[in-house]
Amino acid sequence: MITLKNITKKYSKQTVLDIIALDIPVGQTFGLVGNNGAGKTTMFSCLLDLIKPTTGNVLNNGVEVASSEKWKSFTSAFLDDTFLIGYLMPEEYFYFIGELRGLKKKEVDEFINQFEDFFHGEILGGKKYLRDLSKGNQKKAGVVAALLGKPKVVILDEPFANLDPSTQIRLKQILKDLSNNNKTTILVSSHDIQDVTEVCERIVLLEKGKVIKDIVTNPKTLKELEAYFKG
Amino acid sequence: MLKKRRTFSERMIYLSTMIFTFLKLQWKSFFRGESVGVNVMTKVFKWFGIVYFGFITPLLGFLTYKVLKEKLEIEDPFLYLNKNLIYVFAYWIVMRYFIQPIPVVSIKPLLLTPISKSQIVRHALGKSVFSFFNIIAFFYLIPLTWVLINKDYQVNQLIGWNLTIIAFVYITNYLNFILNNNDKLLYSIAAILVLIKLLEYYSVFDFTIYSEAFFYSFYTNPLYSLLPWVFLIWLYFYVFKYFKNGLYIDLGLKKRTEEAKIDDFSWLDRFGKTAVFLKNDLRLIKRSKRARGTVLAGIFFLFYGFIFYFSEDIYGPSMTFFGYLFASGGFLFMFGAFVPSWDSQYYSLMMCQNIEYKEYIKSKWSLVVIGTSISTLLACFIYSFLGADAIFAVLAGGLYNIGINGYLTLWAGAFTKTPIDLDSNKNIFGDTKAFNMKTLLIALPQMALPIALFSIGNYYYSASIGCLIVGTTGILGILLKEQVFNLIIKAYKTEKYSTLKAYKQN
Repeated sequence: MITLKNITKKYSKQTVLDIIALDIPVGQTFGLVGNNGAGKTTMFSCLLDLIKPTTGNVLNNGVEVASSEKWKSFTSAFLDDTFLIGYLMPEEYFYFIGELRGLKKKEVDEFINQFEDFFHGEILGGKKYLRDLSKGNQKKAGVVAALLGKPKVVILDEPFANLDPSTQIRLKQILKDLSNNNKTTILVSSHDIQDVTEVCERIVLLEKGKVIKDIVTNPKTLKELEAYFKG
Repeated sequence: MLKKRRTFSERMIYLSTMIFTFLKLQWKSFFRGESVGVNVMTKVFKWFGIVYFGFITPLLGFLTYKVLKEKLEIEDPFLYLNKNLIYVFAYWIVMRYFIQPIPVVSIKPLLLTPISKSQIVRHALGKSVFSFFNIIAFFYLIPLTWVLINKDYQVNQLIGWNLTIIAFVYITNYLNFILNNNDKLLYSIAAILVLIKLLEYYSVFDFTIYSEAFFYSFYTNPLYSLLPWVFLIWLYFYVFKYFKNGLYIDLGLKKRTEEAKIDDFSWLDRFGKTAVFLKNDLRLIKRSKRARGTVLAGIFFLFYGFIFYFSEDIYGPSMTFFGYLFASGGFLFMFGAFVPSWDSQYYSLMMCQNIEYKEYIKSKWSLVVIGTSISTLLACFIYSFLGADAIFAVLAGGLYNIGINGYLTLWAGAFTKTPIDLDSNKNIFGDTKAFNMKTLLIALPQMALPIALFSIGNYYYSASIGCLIVGTTGILGILLKEQVFNLIIKAYKTEKYSTLKAYKQN
């Protein structure tokens, strides 16, 4: 589904991303881990054509992201709060994204209602704009909006950060369901190796922009990653 | 513990190091910002504008007496001036509210440093003393007073009067600080201003008589001018205390939240994909103070034409046309100039959504066209009683603004990488300005070409031909939409990555 070829990103002389080849097949749940500055967000930004890599190109379902915009119709993402429109109410935000993805208001409503549990009564029907929600609630709204309209590729940067434990557990279930039922390719990054090992079928470890480990998740994975991060 | 009292020289040294520290911080934030080029350019324009006003204002000061006496045949221009001062100050308050930036120091990081709170507040309040809006008053008063002295008004009495006016100028200065942070007071003052105007309009009550008596009394009794100064000093300390007390993250520095209400703009859906964005832009204007203020400022420019209409003898027909051009372009120059910066907070989202760049830019263009069309219609209505010539000029200007300036503004938007913090008005030290002078000044060069076109037509044939040339140019621009759009999109696509980077600096 997603192919990276010879991707490097350099700022003056510093190389922040250097991936020779990486292929993420359709329907895979892909986890990206690494310490601060490992290049996780940079890599996701390259996939979304938010940052132009110094060399190489990214193919998303055969579409070269830097030269065509066709990938936008089947890809969605939530990286950070620049994916939220602060002056909208959560409902309006969902309708807006839904409309862009060709959904009717009713379809959006139906979709959103599935997440009543996940929202914990704090998102819908409130009297707040997104800008006035807490960081955790903002994230919930952003993540759910990224799932609207059955995208084939979903990219989430640090989806578990800032969430309370119950919500983290629910979110993991949502992501698992999504990959099992819809063949959605899901890319997730996290600082929490336990979360990633629970959700992802494959885990890639980045260090200073390079792929250090590429693991198919197995019972030993968590130990293996822990050993790495202990240094 | 006994506190050691500082000597005067120690205090001065301390004060100057403090000022230096603040200036250094601001210098860094200016030059280390992402869009230094744009910043420098706008600074140049700003100074260009300051020089312009610095030239035009003394001229007004010199001419006030002469124009009032000879053109309007007013017996005592000085009395007439006093009579209208109430409106001058009302207008001044409004202008300040919309245009004057409240000096901003990034407060939070400073709270835990050894810089005292009083020092921070004093710096912010002190900086505003030299604001353009205060200095410009001197530019007007000095030549005016010079003329008045030559017309045999008493010097010592004029000094008292001048001191009073200056006190009132600074009272509006500090009032603006409070108005920017107190909506209730803002609305009450706005209501009073409207009421005064209405009562006068329907001749129920004429405040200008009292304005005349009030301000003239400072001329007859110069000692009275102490009173406004006492009030000014009291106000300064009030504002000082108000801000100092607000320096807690759960008080003044806290975000103010408002209750949200759903706005259903589904009637817009007939406009297709553009409507999706239009709905959001309407919500933006409704819910962000900054966007709202910008649109309101655009409405002010609807009346811009009158300034030049009534002074056509001084500035000539080309400037009258300039006024009309601005009247229909208020929305374009105020709001449009910040496209796509309005979306800066969520630009990455826009870049990832299921919409092509071209469609996105087109929707922004539609917004500008709708705004400009409405402005043009309103301006036609407002200026209709000045005759067919005025309507013709407004229409020509409107067409030009849609057909040429709309593209230029959008194209320039690809390079104006100034992030806008839509929520910043939420705390009292935030950047509360609704828009700043720089938008206006960026717009000035865009006016040069249509005025040149008009002047050529007007010089060789007539004003109508001049309008016709400008209008036709606008229509040509509208017809070339697709070609122009391809160029604009190209600029946006090359600038995309650096724009995203610049917006992240929010």
